[in-house]
Amino acid sequence: MQYIFNIFMTLLEGAKTASILFIVVILLSLPLGFLFTLMARSSIAPIRWFANAYIYILRGTPLLLQLIFIFFGVPYLPVIGKYLVFERFTAALIGFVLNYAAYFAEIFRGGLLAVDKGQYEAAKVLGMSRFKTTVFVILPQMIRVALPSVTNEAVSLVKDTSLLYAVAVPEIIHYATGIVNRDFNVTAFAVAAAIYLVMNTLLSFLFKKLEKKLEY
Amino acid sequence: MALIEINGLKKSFGNLEVLKNVSFQVEKGDVVAVLGASGSGKSTLLRSLINLEQIDGGSVCIDSEYLIKDGKYAPSAKIRKITSEMGMVFQNFNLFPHLTVRQNLEMPAKFAKILSDSELTQKADALLKKVGLSDKADVKPSKLSGGQQQRVAIARALMLNPTIMLFDEPTSALDPQLTGEVLSTMRQLAEEHMTMIVVTHEMGFARDVANKIIFMSDGEIVETAPPHEFFANPKYKKAREFLSMALD
Repeated sequence: MQYIFNIFMTLLEGAKTASILFIVVILLSLPLGFLFTLMARSSIAPIRWFANAYIYILRGTPLLLQLIFIFFGVPYLPVIGKYLVFERFTAALIGFVLNYAAYFAEIFRGGLLAVDKGQYEAAKVLGMSRFKTTVFVILPQMIRVALPSVTNEAVSLVKDTSLLYAVAVPEIIHYATGIVNRDFNVTAFAVAAAIYLVMNTLLSFLFKKLEKKLEY
Repeated sequence: MALIEINGLKKSFGNLEVLKNVSFQVEKGDVVAVLGASGSGKSTLLRSLINLEQIDGGSVCIDSEYLIKDGKYAPSAKIRKITSEMGMVFQNFNLFPHLTVRQNLEMPAKFAKILSDSELTQKADALLKKVGLSDKADVKPSKLSGGQQQRVAIARALMLNPTIMLFDEPTSALDPQLTGEVLSTMRQLAEEHMTMIVVTHEMGFARDVANKIIFMSDGEIVETAPPHEFFANPKYKKAREFLSMALD
């Protein structure tokens, strides 16, 4: 029991890193994703092309490759490379935010399609500007439609934090592997699994609550 | 000059001409019922008055100001000012589902900056009372029947003090037993001399409440007449055919 508790305390250190990554990524990639959604619907063609190409590339290639590229690859780029040398954690953070923004952009696009055309018309005849219509009429309805898919992505993100391992930022699996190698005992892996499960259970519970709140 | 003057309005969707040279006038206090079969252009006509459809040619003049003159639109600030004279009620209500009834009424009016916060509340209360829904102020639209939702939509439009109300088949999405409550709210508005243009299939309402019938067929106004004339003795064959079907 004491052994498991010790493992747990060590892995908690990794969980802390994973949690910080999770929170920052969620806070940054949701608004960035929505920005890409709006760009993909822009009436200006180059903006639309850029947003669609971005979404296409980021969703079509592995996150692992993107992380490795940003940390190890980008500094080798000609001219700009030397200005883009990041710390491990920062590099990972950038990669996660850029990648998840692409997924959220697609989710929000679906959410927008689900908002009835009549809502835009009603807001228009009531004299609301396009900006106010987007913020106060469309966005709240889009969020409600998109929320279950956002929850799904958030659960994936919790698990994806393990990819920090690839750029050698110590996280849950890093510590667990260390313990297993040291003690020739796999208990640490089981504890790691339990920590992920607890984090996701908590997360699902919170999102369910939010869903209830936004119900209409 | 009449309150609404429409001249030579034209509109096509691709190759389909939905409005062919439509002209008519509405005086202040008129209640105009626009009748006609589905696809005759009634809704398109109504929607183009409030800038929900882009028109290809003709003029629309509201209260002596041109929304469109000979196919050319006014600058957008002016369009906004002219369309703010009008309220519109849709077939599918189009209430904002994430807001309560009270918020539905107050939000657009708040953005329009025509009233202070306390006046907003008062006005919303008064209008909800008028449409008989005072007890529903704090519920979401999904908790209301269709008829109640449509009455909220009417109240919401009235919040902005329109001089003209446009109704686009306001009862077509309702069960027959719910149309009555919406029609009686509209009747009440007519009695208060609100200028109204109503696209409808409710012949009873058109006959009893409207003072002018516009009958459309294939994108044209075929007949304009007071209701007693139109219903007793329609001049044109298409109107006669329509009536014999509708009143069956």
